[in-house]
Amino acid sequence: MPSPLTHDDPQEIGPYRPVARLGSGGMGTVYLARTAGGRTVALKTMHARIASDPACRTRFRLETDAARVVGERYGAGVVDADARAETPWLATEYVLGPPLDDAVALCGPLPERTVRALGAALCGALGQLHASDVVHRDLKPSNVLVTAYGPKVIDFGIARAAGDEHLTRVGAAVGTPAFMSPEQAGGQEHSAAGDVFALAGLLVFAATGHPPFGHGQAADLLYRVQYTDPDLTGVPEGLVPVLVPCLDKNPFRRPTTDWLAARLHDGAGEFADHLPDALLADIARRATEVWQVAPQRLPAPADVPGTAPTAAPARWTRRRLLLTGAGATAALTAAGAGAWAVTREAGGPKPQPAPGPSNSLLPRKQLDSIWQIQVRPDDLFADVMPQGQLHVVDNMVVTVATELTGVVAQTGHRQWSMSLMDSDWEVASDGRRLLGLGPSDDRRAGKAGGDPLLLASVNLLTGELADPTVSLNEFNGELVADQMVCTANGVAYVAAGRGKYVDTTFSAAQTWYLFAYDMDAGKLLWTKPLPARRPGSVRLYFLSGSVVGRHLVALQEADDGTVHAVVRDTRDGTVRWDRPLDGVKAGRVQQPLTADDHRLYVGAGRLRALRLGDGGVAWDTGTTRPGRTYGLPALKDGTLYAVEKGLGLVAFDPVSGRVKWEEKGGQGARADLNAAPVIGTEYAYSKRGSQLWAVGLSSGAPAHSYKTTGDRFIAHENAKAVIAQGGGFLAAFPLR
Amino acid sequence: MSVTEGATGVAAGGGPDAATASRRRVGPYTLITALDDARTKVPVPERRYIARSADGQHTVLLSLPHPGGDPHRFLTEAEGSRYLLGPCASPVTALAAPGEPAWCARPYLPALPLPTALAVHGGPLPERTVRALGVALAETLAVLHGQGLTFAGVSPAAVLLTADGPRLSCFGAVRAAAPDGTPRSGLPGLEAGSLPPEQASGGRPRPLGDVYALGATLAYAATGHTTPERDELPAALRTVVARCLTRDPGARPQLAELIDTLAGDAAAGSAADSAGLLVPGRLPGRVIAALAHQSAAVLTAETSVGTAPARPPRSRN
Repeated sequence: MPSPLTHDDPQEIGPYRPVARLGSGGMGTVYLARTAGGRTVALKTMHARIASDPACRTRFRLETDAARVVGERYGAGVVDADARAETPWLATEYVLGPPLDDAVALCGPLPERTVRALGAALCGALGQLHASDVVHRDLKPSNVLVTAYGPKVIDFGIARAAGDEHLTRVGAAVGTPAFMSPEQAGGQEHSAAGDVFALAGLLVFAATGHPPFGHGQAADLLYRVQYTDPDLTGVPEGLVPVLVPCLDKNPFRRPTTDWLAARLHDGAGEFADHLPDALLADIARRATEVWQVAPQRLPAPADVPGTAPTAAPARWTRRRLLLTGAGATAALTAAGAGAWAVTREAGGPKPQPAPGPSNSLLPRKQLDSIWQIQVRPDDLFADVMPQGQLHVVDNMVVTVATELTGVVAQTGHRQWSMSLMDSDWEVASDGRRLLGLGPSDDRRAGKAGGDPLLLASVNLLTGELADPTVSLNEFNGELVADQMVCTANGVAYVAAGRGKYVDTTFSAAQTWYLFAYDMDAGKLLWTKPLPARRPGSVRLYFLSGSVVGRHLVALQEADDGTVHAVVRDTRDGTVRWDRPLDGVKAGRVQQPLTADDHRLYVGAGRLRALRLGDGGVAWDTGTTRPGRTYGLPALKDGTLYAVEKGLGLVAFDPVSGRVKWEEKGGQGARADLNAAPVIGTEYAYSKRGSQLWAVGLSSGAPAHSYKTTGDRFIAHENAKAVIAQGGGFLAAFPLR
Repeated sequence: MSVTEGATGVAAGGGPDAATASRRRVGPYTLITALDDARTKVPVPERRYIARSADGQHTVLLSLPHPGGDPHRFLTEAEGSRYLLGPCASPVTALAAPGEPAWCARPYLPALPLPTALAVHGGPLPERTVRALGVALAETLAVLHGQGLTFAGVSPAAVLLTADGPRLSCFGAVRAAAPDGTPRSGLPGLEAGSLPPEQASGGRPRPLGDVYALGATLAYAATGHTTPERDELPAALRTVVARCLTRDPGARPQLAELIDTLAGDAAAGSAADSAGLLVPGRLPGRVIAALAHQSAAVLTAETSVGTAPARPPRSRN
């Protein structure tokens, strides 16, 4: 989405007037710009200080030349360029379509018909380039824009004429390991056959959502590209024999683009006929949105400190969040704009990888997971924060440990990450949007002592705070125990306090409240006082909470250590009923609640069902299966599942508590009671030892297993993945 | 795979009309291309163009009366349409000053007239698209009737499809074509099948006439013509469209009932809602491709500059 111009963007560049920013990065800025005659273009500029390096200027010129060679059918048509200007610029058509990686993130793996049509059209593009003796050398999903009329290949930052030594040297440093050819990875000549290899890899990604040689650090990828077989898991059967020859390690054995095109697609129909609905809708949105951009220029910042990200504030204040978010995600903004991806790896200085192990991805073959990334250990706030929170939000997984991290569920791509050190920020999600709670840096002093409480939407693409954002100065946002209980239907349910900050959870000088805030209407719906907590209580007010219909269902710990189930009316916050749960330990239920329209299900000891209407016991295994112990339950399609100590998975009828089936085979005796099982359509997933076991729902027997370090598991239905968190890793396994 | 040509070629700046259009100026605007494709043979109450202001900053959908039409009545209706509310209303934002040749304009959005959409799609639109269209248009008319207005100009050509829903243009086309009391059948620009019989005979347009015209327009979307045989319509639409098209206004359904019928039928599985046609799957692929093609062509279009002194459009907002 285009963003407003900043105060120091130029008024004019060549014959163009910038209208909005499409993206920016180390090399330069891309604008949406217009001529005096109203022609709208994507205008790519190079910073004057970078252009002072003759090699960079040469590369800019080469990129322009290559873009002219590919032409407007298969590329972003070049309108005009001036590589000799003080700020060199290149004007191309504004392309109406997402980059392929965004398209896959949006739609999931693309249908075979789409992959075939896309592949055939890209063969045409490469054929035309190769016929002009130009090799792309950096073909990858982010460099292919998918329009309604066919793909367009962009970013010829390292394209070069075959055999041109000078240009080789200029472009030598760049390339993307995940889609490199083996010869390129080995430092050899990458010819037209190398582009065929990259194209096949790109089609594997389009068809499966994962690159052919997995994710990981550059060195690992370079090794795998050269020496291991591509991972074709998930590639439609009909495509395998077409793609395998293209992925031959020997460039001389690979077929030509004509051979490939003929086997991919017969040319029937229009390109748009082969696109999935979600992709078409995104194209339609882009075609329309560009006409709704109003020229806008941001004022100069009023105070210098606010623009100095190096100041490293101790708390994750709103300003810090915005700065961190903006810095970490400039590349994404540019990609979303759809025209050029200056900030991606292809051009100029690469974005600095975050220091430390948290950015590394492990090689996939050792782990059986779809993907696995390292996250910081999550034991620092174990007492206060529900350990290892995991949220499914839209197409993402958001983890809360010492960092708040947004990861694309399909690919494991770490979209953004923020440190939560020295901060008590909290998030909650209703599955579609993510809300954040924390201290505001609002200039107005909070009435409640300390900074006001900030409640905001979090932009899932960038991790930045987004509207609606509200600053509530009747609560102290600095208090450690301010808590986001849950959110549903646009309403945030928050526990927050008034009074002075202390560095423990509660103090006698504070008063506490539960309130409901309607984010969309911008209205405080109700506020109810909460009973005082003993100073020094280690846990927050709520162990877990969830909205079911008009019930706000919560588990709370009383000062005597007992756990209570408390149900409130979402309309006014009045307590409907409050029932102590004997035998339940607070530390074991700081996980998502299991409830349906009629009952709340509590495990971690006996398994019992409480009626939401009056809190009465619907059934209790203490009566029906005395002496047995259960982990946390999970509900799916009218069946309640829980792990029974010494036995394994047991399926219950949630209405009567009657047992539907018990796990067979004895292996379930090792099942971990602390992790709730995750239920798919064919299997239930439950942890045993260091393995995640899939137990067949129809057979009741363990079927296969994955190695895992996780101790929290949730289902991401859209990505068809079981997400695991724990042991410093976040990983995804197939959910079936 | 071929690129969609034909109707979108014209709509997007290709065809023969475009060559002449590009040299023409109307009020403060330079024409870029005609919006409608004459090859669809569906009458359009006004001449419509995509045009741009002299400074290049404002691209608009520009409407002019047909030659021989009454410019005064045209401007009266254009003036009236400035206040239209509703999700798919298309209020005019600028119009000709008194004494100037008549025109009116609204901000440009990529849009295909319904007849062009059918031509691009290669035939009648899918039922789920027709239902979504019907709900959005009926909701818009309901708001308008609540304002005490009658649209008097719903017809296939008046419906513009955009990515985020339909837009209803040609407000007051029936009133502009001839004053009340004058027979209106056969007048240029009025599509016979969507002209309610009581308005054709010269009656003053009333809200239930809009229901008739909406029924005819939905019939067009579902079959390709405004007076279909009963069997041509999808089964689920037959009864409700037929009731819209009864000669007796009193026997036509109320808009609320129409909305319920079109949106509520679970059998269609579409849960049509006014959230618009942007919902994935609601607009056919080739229609989206044509919208994207038009958008790209208009983005690329350059209007000549400096040929006449710029005069800002008179905005009456």
